[in-house]
Amino acid sequence: MLTPLVLGALALVLASPLPRVLSRSERLRHTPVAAMLLWQSTALAAVLAALGAGLSLVTHRLWEGEVGVLDVLLAALAGGVTVVVLGRLLLSGHRTGTTLRRLRRRHREQVDLLARVDHDILQQGILVLDHEVPVAYCVPGMSGSRIVVSRSTLTRLAPAELAAVVAHERSHLRARHDLVLEAFTVLHRAFPRWVSSGAAHHEVQVLVEVLADRAAVRRGDRRALAAALLALAGSRAPGGALAAVGTGLAERVAVLVDTRSHRVQSALVSLSALALLALPSALVVLPWLAGLR
Amino acid sequence: MGELEQAVMNTLWGLDDEQWATVREVHESLSDRRLAYTTVMTVMDRLARKEYVEQQREGRAYRYRPRVSRADLTAELMRETLSDMAAEERGSALVSFVADADEADIAALRRALGELA
Repeated sequence: MLTPLVLGALALVLASPLPRVLSRSERLRHTPVAAMLLWQSTALAAVLAALGAGLSLVTHRLWEGEVGVLDVLLAALAGGVTVVVLGRLLLSGHRTGTTLRRLRRRHREQVDLLARVDHDILQQGILVLDHEVPVAYCVPGMSGSRIVVSRSTLTRLAPAELAAVVAHERSHLRARHDLVLEAFTVLHRAFPRWVSSGAAHHEVQVLVEVLADRAAVRRGDRRALAAALLALAGSRAPGGALAAVGTGLAERVAVLVDTRSHRVQSALVSLSALALLALPSALVVLPWLAGLR
Repeated sequence: MGELEQAVMNTLWGLDDEQWATVREVHESLSDRRLAYTTVMTVMDRLARKEYVEQQREGRAYRYRPRVSRADLTAELMRETLSDMAAEERGSALVSFVADADEADIAALRRALGELA
């Protein structure tokens, strides 16, 4: 009876209190690679623990000893909940995936009709849209990702600043940050309320930007990146109800100016991420599966 | 292929208002590219299917004109881009360099630039 209880409790902790605590930790962002690992393992461990709790309750009730009516009812209930969790995840994954791919295909199509390919900028084939609102973004995709800027961006940024922006976007595309964001979007859409998936999604969005900023200043300089951020962020009117969530920009800047190394924290956070997946598997799941034979 | 579609659209966008063009006319205006007539026809047919151009039968040939002006299509694209960037809680199709900023963000950036100088 212990296995379903332990896994159930673990799933609850991983689904709500832990993401809340992690998203409040400012220090975590200073080791973005390890932090990203921790977020991913938390999410994966939460899903696995939830599915494991349901399945182990089913096997516990039906595999062992005399099977009564209550056992069958409990097993059916646990099995039902497990199927619902899995079903919601798969449905959300399918919906999110098809929506994003459709939007991106349409966007790529229009950009290709409108944008001028600029081979002069860093010899990298950046697409330039003729518009006075400054933007810089990438359209991710398996085949044919695009980096797009507007004409106004080109006039506002110095060459070093533009190079930093392009390096930032290239890093998003190279590291396939869109896939991480998509996975957390899927989670958030599948369990929007009783799981802290919103906090997780927001934090992963910030981390992806921090990672791309890191990549951009690895060779270039921090000042150019900060100046580019100010030039592009300061030029658009602030949106409506953003204050509640925070935009994540101030957090990015805090990491950007931090030049200290955080080797110990990085190692500890990475170890925790691995432990989160390895320990429940080794201590709870393996004995349960072994006991089924 | 995208580049060829853009060239065809640019030709059509270069027409006067209410004016239509046939495949032959577009083919001629792109003559320096030495394209096959059927290539231009295929591209224009595809643009019509994607609803970027209007197609109208005239006698034995079709004639074409853009469905929206270049400026309107650009404006529409930018509107989508900016609303996508502001979409914090739902999934985003694009990955933006920087989305919206509030006063605190701008202040933090100015301080950072001071420190980095």
